[in-house]
Amino acid sequence: MNSKSKVPCIPIEGSISYKDWLKGRRHRRELGELVAPGIIRRKSSSSDRRLKKLFNGERGLPFTPTEKL
Amino acid sequence: MDAKKIRSALADISTEQDPTVKSLKLASLCSALWAERGVQLVVVGGSAIEILTDGAYASGDLDMCHATAATLPIAQRKEIMGLLDAKGGPRNWQVAGMYLDLLGPVESFARTPFRRVEGPFGEVLVMKAEDLLVERVLVSVYPGENQTARDCAKKFIAVILGGDMAVNWDEVRRLANLPEYRNFPQCVKLVKEVADEFKVKSPLHPD
Repeated sequence: MNSKSKVPCIPIEGSISYKDWLKGRRHRRELGELVAPGIIRRKSSSSDRRLKKLFNGERGLPFTPTEKL
Repeated sequence: MDAKKIRSALADISTEQDPTVKSLKLASLCSALWAERGVQLVVVGGSAIEILTDGAYASGDLDMCHATAATLPIAQRKEIMGLLDAKGGPRNWQVAGMYLDLLGPVESFARTPFRRVEGPFGEVLVMKAEDLLVERVLVSVYPGENQTARDCAKKFIAVILGGDMAVNWDEVRRLANLPEYRNFPQCVKLVKEVADEFKVKSPLHPD
């Protein structure tokens, strides 16, 4: 699996550029979707009151769909 | 960073509608402003996991800690966050359409470096992947079964096994055997589960 990845890896040493981080977003999301549901944001937390007030009843902004990353 | 640049960055972050990019941009701006005053910030928890995996996990708050020994005095924090038109404080702010929580000194057991992402306004330090992985596996079973944490840990492992994030597996092994975690068997099991789904050998396999 490792050798097949064509997107920049987030390294242990050194940094990943913003451009490369953006470029890898879709593939990282897709890898996760192979093993767990797409959106896994918690349904509740101790911050609910302030989050739901700010985000119109949600706990954050909606995630960008995978195909648009 | 001069006032004009700060205003421009703030406008950019405020209009950003992708929650993960918005979070990274805010972390980048705050990190730059804190660093100018000698304090290194690091993104932790779910916000860190989101930046490293794009796993659609985090909520609308950004959690950061300070990696340097001391943090800024309250008056200086107030001054910086005032530049960003932030509401609240001195540890939690509403800023640029999201929340920022400054949680205190960072807790890390891994000997690897913080991960580094070059954000648009400066470098962002992100919690070490080894700490995040072992901790998320722990949360998935303790104090009780937690399916969201389990899904989050599986996505984290998938990004690593897919080659998009590097980790030091020896360090994962060492951390999972520390008294603070003692969850090596659970780590082995979950990594094997994802490795089997990917049809690759688990890096935590005894061989």
